[in-house]
Amino acid sequence: MLTSRTFLKRTRAGAVVKVVREHYLREDIPCGAAACRLCPPRPAGTGRGLEAQPSGAASSLCPGPHYLLPDTNLLLHQIDILEDPVIKNVIVLQTVLQEVRNRSAPVYKRIRDVIQNPEKHFYSFTNEHHRETYIQQEQGESSNDRNDRAIRVAVKWYSEHLKKIEDEEKIQVIFLTNDRTNKEKALEEGITAYTCEEYIKSLIANPDLVDRLACVSDEGKEIESGKIIFPEHIPLSKLQQGIKSGVYLQGTYRASRDNYLEATVWVHGDAEENKEIIIQGLKHLNRAVHEDIVAVELLAKDEWVAPSSVILQDDGQNEDDIENEEEKENILKTSVNKDMLRPTGKVVGIIKRNWRPFCGMLSKSQIKEARRHLFTPADRRIPRIRIETRQADTLEGQRIIVAIDGWPRNSRYPNGHFVKNLGSAGDKETETEVLLLEHDVPHQPFSQGVLSFLPKMPWSITEQDMKYREDLRHLYVCSVDPPGCTDIDDALHCREVENGNIEVGVHIADVSHFIRPGNALDEESAKRGTTVYLCEKRIDMVPELLSSNLCSLRSNVDRLAFSCIWEMNHKAEILKTRFTKSIINSKASLTYAEAQMRIDSTTMNDDITTSLRGLNKLAKILKKKRIDNGALTLSSPEVRFHMDSETHDPIDLQAKELKETNSMVEEFMLLANVSVAQKIYEEFPEFALLRKHPAPPPSNYDILVKAAKSKNLEIKTDSAKALAESLDKAESPEFPYLNTLLRILTTRCMMQAVYFCSGMDNDFHHYGLASPIYTHFTSPIRRYADIIVHRLLAVAIGADSTYPELTDKHKLADMCKNLNYRHKMAQYAQRASVAFHTQLFFKSKGIVNEDAYILFVRKNAVVVLIPKYGLEGTVFFEEKGKPTPRLDYNNEVPSLTVEDTTLHVFDKVKVNIMLDASNIQHQKIRMVLVEPKIVENDVPANLSTEISSKNEPEKKKKKLQK
Amino acid sequence: MASVVLSEAEKLYIVHGIQEDLRVDGRGCEDYRCAEVETDVVSNTSGSARVKLGHTDILVGVKAEMGTPKLEKPDEGYLEFFVDCSANATPEFEGRGGEELGTEIANTFYRVFSSESSIDLKSLCINPREHCWVLYVDVLLLECGGNLFDAISIAVKAALFNTRIPKVRILEDEEGSKEIELSDDPYDCIRLNVDDVPCIVTLSKIGYRHVVDATLQEEACSLASLLISVTSKGALTSMKKMGKGSLDPESIFEMMETGRRVGKSLHIALQKILDEEESLGTSRQKVGFLG
Repeated sequence: MLTSRTFLKRTRAGAVVKVVREHYLREDIPCGAAACRLCPPRPAGTGRGLEAQPSGAASSLCPGPHYLLPDTNLLLHQIDILEDPVIKNVIVLQTVLQEVRNRSAPVYKRIRDVIQNPEKHFYSFTNEHHRETYIQQEQGESSNDRNDRAIRVAVKWYSEHLKKIEDEEKIQVIFLTNDRTNKEKALEEGITAYTCEEYIKSLIANPDLVDRLACVSDEGKEIESGKIIFPEHIPLSKLQQGIKSGVYLQGTYRASRDNYLEATVWVHGDAEENKEIIIQGLKHLNRAVHEDIVAVELLAKDEWVAPSSVILQDDGQNEDDIENEEEKENILKTSVNKDMLRPTGKVVGIIKRNWRPFCGMLSKSQIKEARRHLFTPADRRIPRIRIETRQADTLEGQRIIVAIDGWPRNSRYPNGHFVKNLGSAGDKETETEVLLLEHDVPHQPFSQGVLSFLPKMPWSITEQDMKYREDLRHLYVCSVDPPGCTDIDDALHCREVENGNIEVGVHIADVSHFIRPGNALDEESAKRGTTVYLCEKRIDMVPELLSSNLCSLRSNVDRLAFSCIWEMNHKAEILKTRFTKSIINSKASLTYAEAQMRIDSTTMNDDITTSLRGLNKLAKILKKKRIDNGALTLSSPEVRFHMDSETHDPIDLQAKELKETNSMVEEFMLLANVSVAQKIYEEFPEFALLRKHPAPPPSNYDILVKAAKSKNLEIKTDSAKALAESLDKAESPEFPYLNTLLRILTTRCMMQAVYFCSGMDNDFHHYGLASPIYTHFTSPIRRYADIIVHRLLAVAIGADSTYPELTDKHKLADMCKNLNYRHKMAQYAQRASVAFHTQLFFKSKGIVNEDAYILFVRKNAVVVLIPKYGLEGTVFFEEKGKPTPRLDYNNEVPSLTVEDTTLHVFDKVKVNIMLDASNIQHQKIRMVLVEPKIVENDVPANLSTEISSKNEPEKKKKKLQK
Repeated sequence: MASVVLSEAEKLYIVHGIQEDLRVDGRGCEDYRCAEVETDVVSNTSGSARVKLGHTDILVGVKAEMGTPKLEKPDEGYLEFFVDCSANATPEFEGRGGEELGTEIANTFYRVFSSESSIDLKSLCINPREHCWVLYVDVLLLECGGNLFDAISIAVKAALFNTRIPKVRILEDEEGSKEIELSDDPYDCIRLNVDDVPCIVTLSKIGYRHVVDATLQEEACSLASLLISVTSKGALTSMKKMGKGSLDPESIFEMMETGRRVGKSLHIALQKILDEEESLGTSRQKVGFLG
């Protein structure tokens, strides 16, 4: 049956358009119940549907078997509950699903995943297309009311439909809604309806679920605790007008890490002035949370303030003492310096909340048996959240996840609910989970939808695959990687050809053969962007079957590859470059050490070894050429943990060392990347995905030049080449480590390298590599950018077909943005993981003294580097509850004089390292200067106090003695 | 215009018949052919109507769009007419063949609706000088079977009756910048008052008498015709003489009188049908183009 749906729409240009859509109604839509014989069978591949004997949790409200049917708001707010394995057999109406989709994309994605999960028995019923459940909007009925009615009609249909199934036990349908009027109407119509709270509380076996209920405030409740703290938010439509007319400014809210009463708002748009607006004071912050998009109104100039340097942590236990807050706000204001005044504003409204679930720990209420507790997020920029739980005792000391539900005007803190317990704090798995969550690294196992696009095992190369590929299985290809590497994405070969030239081939895993554009697997990898390597864990970008098996170029198996083959003369000049899809059969997968051994050993003369020697010889020439061109050799201390094979605890910490073979592989990868970059840019000047490394602004080098000067060395920074040369010359016979230190400093001056789309930018230069053009081609297993480059190259050589998104530069630019973000986050996560393992290491190791070099001098601290561990740390000279030593900072040299000891950059010192566990949530490595000894600041005494505070038994003993 | 070629004998037969108040299809001189009216036939317009008068088949769609008021009338909306002569109607309309006729009909309607009382244009104003509703009245000739103007005018009136203009509100903030907000209830709309919308009655002079609602054959026998627009109250709003022949003043008055009388009853009949259709609401089975 055909009807049509008519609605009015306003276009962006301001016109009002009447839109008419055809709407087809059917009679053959199955109800999804397994026992139903009235409905036509469900089509294959639509999940498992509802169980014939619903096995959900037993409820005291309705002891019989039942299905649940939630309404839209319930689904939006209580998705955490619905995701719990206890909740099964839920009917999700199309009306509900569509509304959820319009209102929250993340929740929509979550509910889709739940529906996909065969264990959950969720069924999505297309009630809008069912002849008996479709209704039309009536006169005087708002679209919300219409949807509510549609849901009720569907519930009614279901309960009548299920009655017709002649079974021994009737299955009930329970309508869940938190909307009071909707519930009343439903009860009037004879529908069994409960609120979510009523139902969850009635679950006999699962009382803990109640904690996870989102506390969505009823309108009625809000009036109760009268005192209103915050000014009202201005509605969105008014905000948009205000932004248009320039009264309000739109920007991203960034809370301060150190001061909970201060924040800055980064204003969007091109205007140079007022780029950053300071917000100070609780009322002006007006319930904004870090990363929200807010509207800000500027204050009058005489109310402007300077960013305060005070560190304030929100530690009030009593939640509503506002007088106290005002006092604190006054502290901020007294520290105003006239010249430092900056634009100041107040938040008038929220344009978009960016709430996500937050990791953190519970600060248990002091009142016994209280249900309301405060939750302290791990990220200091997030305010504390009030949650309601009955399991405070079990959650204490655990890392938990909490989601914010809302922030009423009369509440000092936002309200939230408990989502998940990650495990006890300090636990390795828990902490890894926390750092992944906090760095927004997607790390859930791959969903069924994604896995369905994997090739079926056992997999073999087919005739079809052979068609467009060159068979290179006869070549002596081998791979060289770090030990324990399972995702081998590159392999090399080298041989002499008849005319005396050398043929060198770089073979890269052909991941784009397996990941086809646009499918779920592709989307998931694009979202992940990169594989994240943590100290003892790897978060794959593509499922393991691909990363460690089908794509991995393991030895002695046939693998698909994308090959870049050069013909070179003995001076390593490229005569010919050729790209082809190929099939290879690696003859050996070696580690760097094994390869080095083969090259060095005089007895080995097999094909692989000669091939390696040839590669090594060419690599050396290539490297020299590159350095002559002005490429930088930089250094950053990289740490490697030796793990205990049983407990996976770090037992030793060591700086990574590099072998000649490392640089050999690297050299050819660079060459391949450059060759591919040239090719794809030539073919697609508008759509090539490239990587650039902008030259840093000259001011970045100040610190390096000054530091070198203090050691009587000159560093030239006018060009990359001059920099490289002066770095090479900067050596001091009595201080061999100086050169490495300088290179570490240079690294800190650099800009971040980024991906970009060639059609959107005109500066392609890669500063660090001194290459006019560069891209990433050689690691498609662990980087998504490489997959795109593979696709571009495949199209360029006619080996694969193109698709629309590939040649859409705006889509590519968006993708680059995501990739850059993911890479940055992956890097941070990696650092956080190293930091955590360093902590674990020092926890087991106890207190040690080590040699260190001063890397930076700051106003009240020095940053030191411990070469033995490649570890960097800050030595503070101020301490809580102690008189601050006399500090004198000289910006010119730079140097810091503490009492009578002057410290310079590159000074060799001795530090004392230990783990500071006073704050469970933020454990850190503490370093104290041992040598040169600072008078007054007596280190041994300092140490003993630290130990005594950590050593509980000793303390008790003292007490006993008293 | 579409026309038929008649032999002298045929013409004489028609003219003599009319002299006796007996037309070829059995009607009297002041009788209309049977008319079929259906409204709301095109769902993506604001209002539409289809009228079949004998073999004449007309489809009218009204589209409401937001525009700026005309300078001389800052607080009024306005109507735009466009007539499309489909080549379905007659092969003569193929290419640009129908353009001249289309413009002629459109111009006639501009004149008919130029009277201030015909439709309340002020109600179409959203905010003076800035926004108003513009009603685009699009006429499509599907088949020509004589008496085009009358049929079109009936269809236009029916379509205007059927027109629903979405309600908009003007939000004004302190600075005076205005924002237009659209109601999200599709039933929340303005209806036009069509009581004073005139209908056209064409009186064709045949022999010594005049007839209303001439068929194509009758039109071929007429040398001159008078086109008058009459409101439901019987007021004449405009008048136009068509055809190459001349009319003497006396017969003009006579024709005006007939036109007024016939027009009034035409309005009554039309309004009755429209109200009846309206009362059926959504339960009405639509006939559309398959009927």
